[in-house]
Amino acid sequence: MKPSSALYPLVLALASVCSAKLSFKSGSAVVNAKDGSPSQSLKFDPSQGTKPLRVAQDETLKLQFTVFDDAEKRDVQPHQTFLRFYDEKTDEEGIVPIKVGRDGKARFSMNLRKPPVGLPPTTFDPLHVSLILGSFRHEGAVYDLFDLSLPPSASTPPHPEESSFHVQPEIAHTFRPDQKSPPKFISLVFAGLVLSPWAVLLGLLRYLPISLQPDTKTLPFLACLASFEGLLFWYWVDLYLGQVLMYGAALGLATAIAGKRALSSFN
Amino acid sequence: MRISRLFAALLVSLVPTALARSSTGDKVLVVMEPTLKAEDYSLFFNNLRSRGYEVFFRAPNEKMPTTMSYDIPQFSHIIMFTPTAKNLEADVGPQALFTLLKENPSTNILVALSPKRTPMSDFAAEFNIGLPPPNTPLISHFPPRSSPHTQLIINSPSKAHPLLSKNLPPVLFEGQAHLLGDNPLLFPILNAPVESFSTDGTEDRRADSVVEASDKGGEGLWAGSKMSVVSGFQATNGARIAFVGGVKLFSDEFAKAEVAPGKRSGNGQLAQDIAAWTFQETLVYKVDSATHFLEGDETRTEQEKYTTNDRVTFTMEISQFDPIKNKYIPKSDIQELQLEFTMLDPHIRTGLQAVADKPGTYSVTFRAPDRHGVFKFVVNHKRKGITPLQVAMPVAVVPPRHDGYPRFLSAAWPYYIGAISTSVGFIFFCIVYLGAESATERKRKEKGKNKVE
Repeated sequence: MKPSSALYPLVLALASVCSAKLSFKSGSAVVNAKDGSPSQSLKFDPSQGTKPLRVAQDETLKLQFTVFDDAEKRDVQPHQTFLRFYDEKTDEEGIVPIKVGRDGKARFSMNLRKPPVGLPPTTFDPLHVSLILGSFRHEGAVYDLFDLSLPPSASTPPHPEESSFHVQPEIAHTFRPDQKSPPKFISLVFAGLVLSPWAVLLGLLRYLPISLQPDTKTLPFLACLASFEGLLFWYWVDLYLGQVLMYGAALGLATAIAGKRALSSFN
Repeated sequence: MRISRLFAALLVSLVPTALARSSTGDKVLVVMEPTLKAEDYSLFFNNLRSRGYEVFFRAPNEKMPTTMSYDIPQFSHIIMFTPTAKNLEADVGPQALFTLLKENPSTNILVALSPKRTPMSDFAAEFNIGLPPPNTPLISHFPPRSSPHTQLIINSPSKAHPLLSKNLPPVLFEGQAHLLGDNPLLFPILNAPVESFSTDGTEDRRADSVVEASDKGGEGLWAGSKMSVVSGFQATNGARIAFVGGVKLFSDEFAKAEVAPGKRSGNGQLAQDIAAWTFQETLVYKVDSATHFLEGDETRTEQEKYTTNDRVTFTMEISQFDPIKNKYIPKSDIQELQLEFTMLDPHIRTGLQAVADKPGTYSVTFRAPDRHGVFKFVVNHKRKGITPLQVAMPVAVVPPRHDGYPRFLSAAWPYYIGAISTSVGFIFFCIVYLGAESATERKRKEKGKNKVE
């Protein structure tokens, strides 16, 4: 077992220190329209900030630059020359290799009619394009080139079960609206209308010679009739059919007996 | 004083330093190919033993110990350290592993892959994992270092999965990356660095082959942070499978190495995290109970049927396995738990809120839809890497009974008054008719009496 500290001394380069690493020169990006005439052109070098570039559906993007090594001061062909397209918002990344000749000259051409396989899905937001230069012999580096706006691509459909792994939209049931009733005042008015014949009756009763004499023979029968009405009212408010039939049967028997007695009193 | 201190020290030394148990079982089978030596992975295995696991070793072409005996799984967890073995005995081959995953309780599997094509590569492909062409290990020219470029330093991701420890130091990796399909049961645990890519070249002269290989394959270049080196699969029955792109991630060599002067690599910690997740220690949830009742019901009796428009309360208790205490503890901070009230399609979907004074309890009250039928309370909480929480309780929703409707409506007052006044009128009429008849009867009687006299 080797001692750990002497195993693999790994040196992490500090990016801010300008050490001898792979770099490029004469970088240019040209966007050609369908007929071949250049519509945009951009020169970029390692020290510049990113600039925006826009490519439409029928246009071609051509990149050219030469890779060279700062320390050896000559043009080299690195092992890894990749263009990285990254969309910050959707976190989509795509990496496309660039062909570099032995003399260090790199050429890249992209036509959206036949886009490179490594291009990520695009939206209306621009893609950050950076260049990754890596090598076994020279120290590599990553450079930000430009912000590329491409026409949005057709989105790939997600897996059918993907949505169940995230919060799903809430569903509320739309209930039938509560029953509306007319204003109580109108109900009161019509209830009064229903009671109006009583007013007429009570008024006309003055002209009838009626004298009431409670008779002990008919009173029980009248009381039974009144209690039947009361039973019906009770049924409306509270009772069930079984109960009302039971009470009604008992009361009916009582009414029959009282009625027979009342009838016999007339004979 | 000194004796008691010695005694205390003795007691402390008897307690294992990092006791963490699995929720499903302690027996682990390590299938190790002959080219690998168990001593090179001693830190990893000793850590497993100290956490309470019993570790058994065997070679892929040995017959004992078997994984299944008379159709009963013998081990709760299996580690396949067979990255280059082409011949596997039938009971540790892909078919047998599938059978073990589907058992109840299921077996968890940790698989180490490699740039070579082996039966384990086919096993991984079944889980929607895309592997690069054979013999193309992952390399990265960054950061500049003197160790081989096939040994990568991977920093812990900024948005790490909850199963990884916080503040994980950079880890060393050697092996192959893979791409994950869009199956949501599959998720990345550690992604490859942005500048890494899969290739078989070792010199700058092979630069052209890198470009040509990407055109030939039709899939493009195997590069970038969309590839992952460690990924996990959480099956719906609770089984867990982890795929690691290289077995050296678990080795003592990498665990003891330094990624920066004075800073040890995070390999030991990462190996523990991967094993803890795969062997059902971390992120294991369980539904303790689920019940439903009418809102105001103090006795909380579960009803067989509810009436439409009833207010119904649903409550459930969830606990999480704590590997250190070796038991399930109520868990109150699950976000975005949702309840669906379903009849063929969800009629209602609401969030379940944690009840403040009852740990681990989640509850919601809602109004039953005004459709009648057989509904189901469905909770199906799935997230990448955690045990799915599933509840399905059928219940009937019936329309109101004949006496369940609102009564004594204000719109019906005229009708009530009419009926009651009819009854009153009848009684009045009876009184007048019977009473008055008595009066005329008496008059006739009197007249008759007078006539007679």
